[in-house]
Amino acid sequence: MRREAPRRQAESSRLNNPRRNGRQDGRSERVSSRQGARNYQISFDSRWRAWVRHHRQVAGESARRLLKRPLSSLLTMLAIAIALVLPAALWLALGSAQLIDSRLDDTAQMTLYLDPALSESQAMDVADRVRQLDTVASTQFITAAEGLDEFQHSLGLDDALSMLQDNPLPASIVVVPVQRDPEAAQQLAVQLGALPGVDEARLDTAWLERLRQLGELGQRVVLAFAGLFGLGVLLVVGNTIRLAVESRREEIEVVTLIGATHAFVRRPFLYSGAWFGLGGGVLALMLLTIGRSWLSAPIDAVARSYGSHYLLPGLGFEGSVLLLICSTLLSWLGAWLAVGRHLAEIKPR
Amino acid sequence: MIAFEHVGKRYGGRFEALAGISFRIGRGEMVFMTGHSGAGKSSVLKLLTCLERPSRGRIIVAGHDLNALHASQVPFYRRQIGVVFQNHQLLFDRSVYDNVALPLIIQGMLPAEASRRVRAALDKVGLLHRERALPIELSGGEQQRVGIARAVVNKPALLLADEPTGNLDPQLSADIMRLFEDFNRIGTTVLIASHDLALIARLRHRVLRLREGRLVADEEAA
Repeated sequence: MRREAPRRQAESSRLNNPRRNGRQDGRSERVSSRQGARNYQISFDSRWRAWVRHHRQVAGESARRLLKRPLSSLLTMLAIAIALVLPAALWLALGSAQLIDSRLDDTAQMTLYLDPALSESQAMDVADRVRQLDTVASTQFITAAEGLDEFQHSLGLDDALSMLQDNPLPASIVVVPVQRDPEAAQQLAVQLGALPGVDEARLDTAWLERLRQLGELGQRVVLAFAGLFGLGVLLVVGNTIRLAVESRREEIEVVTLIGATHAFVRRPFLYSGAWFGLGGGVLALMLLTIGRSWLSAPIDAVARSYGSHYLLPGLGFEGSVLLLICSTLLSWLGAWLAVGRHLAEIKPR
Repeated sequence: MIAFEHVGKRYGGRFEALAGISFRIGRGEMVFMTGHSGAGKSSVLKLLTCLERPSRGRIIVAGHDLNALHASQVPFYRRQIGVVFQNHQLLFDRSVYDNVALPLIIQGMLPAEASRRVRAALDKVGLLHRERALPIELSGGEQQRVGIARAVVNKPALLLADEPTGNLDPQLSADIMRLFEDFNRIGTTVLIASHDLALIARLRHRVLRLREGRLVADEEAA
């Protein structure tokens, strides 16, 4: 008797506690409204926890299923990895090209070749006039003699040129424009080329423009490859998942018959797809790293022969994470498409 | 509990599996359905489990008009009925316990909650001691009992069985039928399709006789 008293008290206090009652409301209402049905009611909270738990369990189970057949899983992942490596490598190559591009962009400049008939003082006058223009940031005057000197040094043609009696080079002015976008530079070049005493204004960025166009072409090629190989990933995963669905056909029929939703049936296959994608992504990263270290020695040698230093760009942390996310999502999507298609075919008999 | 109103089912163009049959089964009844193969028994069961839709007519089960049931609601409808199959439809890669727990897991019950009910169902069919076994290690009769335990584990108001004694010897068949009678006694509506006429005659329940898609006899329980 004594022992029971506090328990009763606790019970009544629970009944009177509005917050606790509120939490239970949804459940008690549902039970009472369906008292006629003998079907068991499961509270939302328990359903939610069971859902989370089921996800964890299915994720683990599908991972174990992959590990049970390591060779075929590895082959699928390798196929995914290869499909990912090519566009990724192209993207990196393009990135390094753009790096060169942006470095050169700062040096947008033009050279004015002056009339060779001008005397040195006349040439200086032209240079002064150019320097005073608002659109010109800075100029550098190069006399004909200096030009020849530089030419000889840079090409190592001392002997050949020393045989010339006259200096064939005109005096020139290197002009750095204020506005560095290609259009403004082009306009300035036309304007300066029309000045008296100027023979020709040559925009040094003309080839840069070409490079930029090539870069755009490269970008499109990368996009096309990424699209194609992305499709490849979808097909690889789709086919693998199709076989998995086929091999578990009976199980799918049974769980469908006893009330499994499509989501429930799909879940293990979606996780398998995601695991394939993650594994493929990791393998792709490994392939990229191996390829980079394999190429870096010869590329460094080439760069050194030009007296420069060049490091092959890697994906970096963000790029790697992006690659993993992309491959996982892509494979998940492939699995989703395959399961959706084949679930429609599987009707319990 | 079940109402068929002029239900017809046609496959393809010509073949008529059900030719407009009507019957009612009240809550708590136990009913047998007999007929030769092709008489329409399995069509009735397929319609009741929403595996197929009627070509015409109306089917009402526990207040649900099955024609009005959207495809996304079908899984939830199926959870309210227990089905026992002739070939058990057990999953052979998992234990007896896991097979019986499957409907509860599908409904989103935590394994801890499910365990009590799974054990109760297994106890009811007398297989609690085999819960860790794989279905392949069980005899045909035991496998069928696992199938029954799975069908009743979520306490459905309606239990359907398709030739539940199909491959069993008479003694085992009688045991299985007794099990169904037990469930019926606690209020479950039971509909059993069977061609084991001798056994049915002994059990003295209501019998629906089908022939060529028509209901030719509706014999009340003796």
